[in-house]
Amino acid sequence: MPYLASLEKEGIPTVLINFGEETGKVEHDRTLYGIPKLRHIVASRNSLGGVSEAEILVQPLLDALTRPLSDEEKESGIWAPNEPRILFEGTLPEAEEFYNQTENIPGILDAPFSKYTDGLPVVIPTEERVAEMLKGTSHKPDELITLQHDMELRGFGAIESTNTRKKGDVINFMPMYRTATVEQVAVNAVMAGCKPEYFPVVLAIAESGGGTGDGRGGGGGFIVSGPIYKEIGMNVTNSIFGPGNPANKTIGRVGSLLWRNLGGYKETVTTITTLGSPITNGGFIFAEYTEGLPEGWKGLNEEMGFKKDESIIMTGGMGMGEWGIGQQNMPGVYRSLQRTGHGAIARFLDVKGIPGPHNYLEYLTKDAWATRDGGFTLVMPTQIAQDLCDYGFKTKDSIYEWIWKKSFEPVSKFRMRGAQDFITNGWLGIEKTSGKHWKELPGDYMVPAGGDDPFDSYNILLCNMEETAVARFGGGHGQVFSIDAWR
Amino acid sequence: MAEKEKVYKCLNPVGMQPPVKTFPLATRLENLEGKTIHLSICGEADIWVPMEKKLKADYPNINWTLKKRYHIVPMELSEEERKTTDAVILGVCW
Repeated sequence: MPYLASLEKEGIPTVLINFGEETGKVEHDRTLYGIPKLRHIVASRNSLGGVSEAEILVQPLLDALTRPLSDEEKESGIWAPNEPRILFEGTLPEAEEFYNQTENIPGILDAPFSKYTDGLPVVIPTEERVAEMLKGTSHKPDELITLQHDMELRGFGAIESTNTRKKGDVINFMPMYRTATVEQVAVNAVMAGCKPEYFPVVLAIAESGGGTGDGRGGGGGFIVSGPIYKEIGMNVTNSIFGPGNPANKTIGRVGSLLWRNLGGYKETVTTITTLGSPITNGGFIFAEYTEGLPEGWKGLNEEMGFKKDESIIMTGGMGMGEWGIGQQNMPGVYRSLQRTGHGAIARFLDVKGIPGPHNYLEYLTKDAWATRDGGFTLVMPTQIAQDLCDYGFKTKDSIYEWIWKKSFEPVSKFRMRGAQDFITNGWLGIEKTSGKHWKELPGDYMVPAGGDDPFDSYNILLCNMEETAVARFGGGHGQVFSIDAWR
Repeated sequence: MAEKEKVYKCLNPVGMQPPVKTFPLATRLENLEGKTIHLSICGEADIWVPMEKKLKADYPNINWTLKKRYHIVPMELSEEERKTTDAVILGVCW
């Protein structure tokens, strides 16, 4: 849409083709980019496509370029919606009814959609409660949410670009490009049920864009590294991803409220998603347990250039919602492998009767990239990390490298992957390991299916648990933001 | 006053919308004869491949230019290219 807007502004008439369910989004975006009435033609996902669709579209497209403008299309002015600071006055029961109201979104959604919440009831953000939340930070209530340090933003594949952003840059919350103050974030933190001591983590989430992404962020997924996890009582043990711990549950939830309220997310109206994710649904956060790291292994904060005593969040937007169905084994089978060399995995690795340490990664990565590309994060208990270290992986980097190399396959096979037409921009770009054009590479040339770079594509985090089970989800090292900057 | 009858001021969780200056659409073309029309293609080959063929076959007097990308973010015309482009058809995207 910004491209279309710039063309129209320069006097070049345009017409857009979109799919039917995207019409609400198109109508919304044109306003954001200053176009009072955009000309667009709706294509069908359900038609036969091909020649028959072309027959339907061609004449309306050409007509849109030649039909004289209506009065409405010639209008100009200022679009400036304004929101009051005090949204509601009344008793708590009345406020509960107000904040939990829904509106029906017509069209394909045709279902109620919460106006201010993630669909769950919220804590009412009275002035008193918000003032209490603001005690959790030294930042002023009217301060805009801005970047607290310079950083490089990385794209990927066809949309690959690296932008350097500067400390002080104002954060825009998508899809509406809104901005926010510390107080407005505090309002959402109260609504999510956070305590004031959680607020620096919440503000770091806001600095990251609040899980809004490009507008389809889903509330985001976040990982905490550093001592703050202990200060605020985040659970890093059994059920690290489960319910019951207030900090894990409520801070994660903030992401979806920021998406809704700061970003202005309204499904099929301001943005279009696909299925959403049951993992980041409602926001998702957990913390790593660094106390149990094997000697030589670094915590996430140190891996990302911070000190051991500094607290950070990492955004998991690169795939945290993709909780893959991967390997399966009973925890006892893992222990049998390492203790006595018995059980199914010992048979798989052909080490029957030989005590460990054995390379469990061989089992864990078997067919890991069958029809899914890119890297992943492993969350494992301290014992499995120690076994890997004893086996010979003296650093996390050595594991990232090992897994990445395991993902190599011939170009002929790689070309059958469902995401690569898009990621390689129709194979028009350069393959990274060779520096050659994709179309110059022979079919037997080996390329990584598991991401462009070992460190970016993989991540290992520990939890404090004795049971030997491992969780895996999409994405490796994302962008990091200081929590301490928001204390 | 009973606690549940107490009136509270409740704050707004919604962020601030930067104001937007709106502008008129570009004046449309009087006719298409001899004009340069640019096709800005974002994916959906099922639609675009036959449409490109049809446009070129049915309207040979139009100078068709084209940039193609497998992504919803289009490949943009350069400043120089814009000077010689009369109109743009973009899609399929939002």
